[in-house]
Amino acid sequence: MTRADIIVVAFTLALLPFLYGTFWNRQGPADTALIIDESGREFSVPLDSGQQLRIDGPLGVSVLEIADGRIRFLDSPCRGKQCIHSGWLDESGEFAACLPNRVSVAVSGGEPLYDSINF
Amino acid sequence: MKPETEHSVITIETTRQDHRIAWLTALAITIHIAESVLPSPLPGVKPGLANVVTIAVLMLYGWPTAVWVSLLRVLVGSILIGTFLTPTFTLSLAGAISSLLVLGLGTLLPGRGLGPIGYSLLAALAHMAGQFMVAYWLFIPHQGLFGLLPVLMTMAALFGLVSGLIVMAMMKKLEDKRP
Repeated sequence: MTRADIIVVAFTLALLPFLYGTFWNRQGPADTALIIDESGREFSVPLDSGQQLRIDGPLGVSVLEIADGRIRFLDSPCRGKQCIHSGWLDESGEFAACLPNRVSVAVSGGEPLYDSINF
Repeated sequence: MKPETEHSVITIETTRQDHRIAWLTALAITIHIAESVLPSPLPGVKPGLANVVTIAVLMLYGWPTAVWVSLLRVLVGSILIGTFLTPTFTLSLAGAISSLLVLGLGTLLPGRGLGPIGYSLLAALAHMAGQFMVAYWLFIPHQGLFGLLPVLMTMAALFGLVSGLIVMAMMKKLEDKRP
């Protein structure tokens, strides 16, 4: 092995733990919820307020509950209720959506790892 | 009977280099196809043994030959397997191009430069990184994909190391054979 080889091996040994550290860490607590409704309007709501939000959609009203720095779908007039089963969102980067009622919630906070996310 | 038209025969002059590239590419394609039959433990993870040929060619005949062999292998391999112009092909090509670029930079190093292990590791890491970026940009633009990156890079490093050891053994054999 040449000196350059050893440098490459060392680089690899440093890179791998760095990758695990960067991409396998939980992203930390979220502090803001971004809610998008049927018309594409975006609401930014801080998660430190305890409140219930009523968002109108094509099927009816979706109810979101904010408490203890997290947010969840409390009720939604859809059939599958996947949005409700998503449960509480509190980790930065998590999201839930009620597609039938066209309401989505994404939480963010701390240092965002990505500039944008496409769905 | 007289032929009605005169047939002209075009002879393409081939050089030693052309033949060398063709033989080595044929070898790489064979490995590439044999490997494509192996089941994969994880999507996107393959030993990449055809890279053994690329690295050996790089060390024996230089970067331009390695570029020919690697790109022809991806092209012809995909046509034979039936993945030409599919996402598999795009990813394969992206990986090949990024590893060739990194190998090209590697050859510029001063002094004794890189050996088989260094070249192979760099090529494997660059291959996976390039493939991953293209997969993220073109096919799966979802942040969840990044969760796979550490695992994929670990596998790339392992297989790169194994390929490097194979190239090292190969080079030693070739040197012993030389008069």
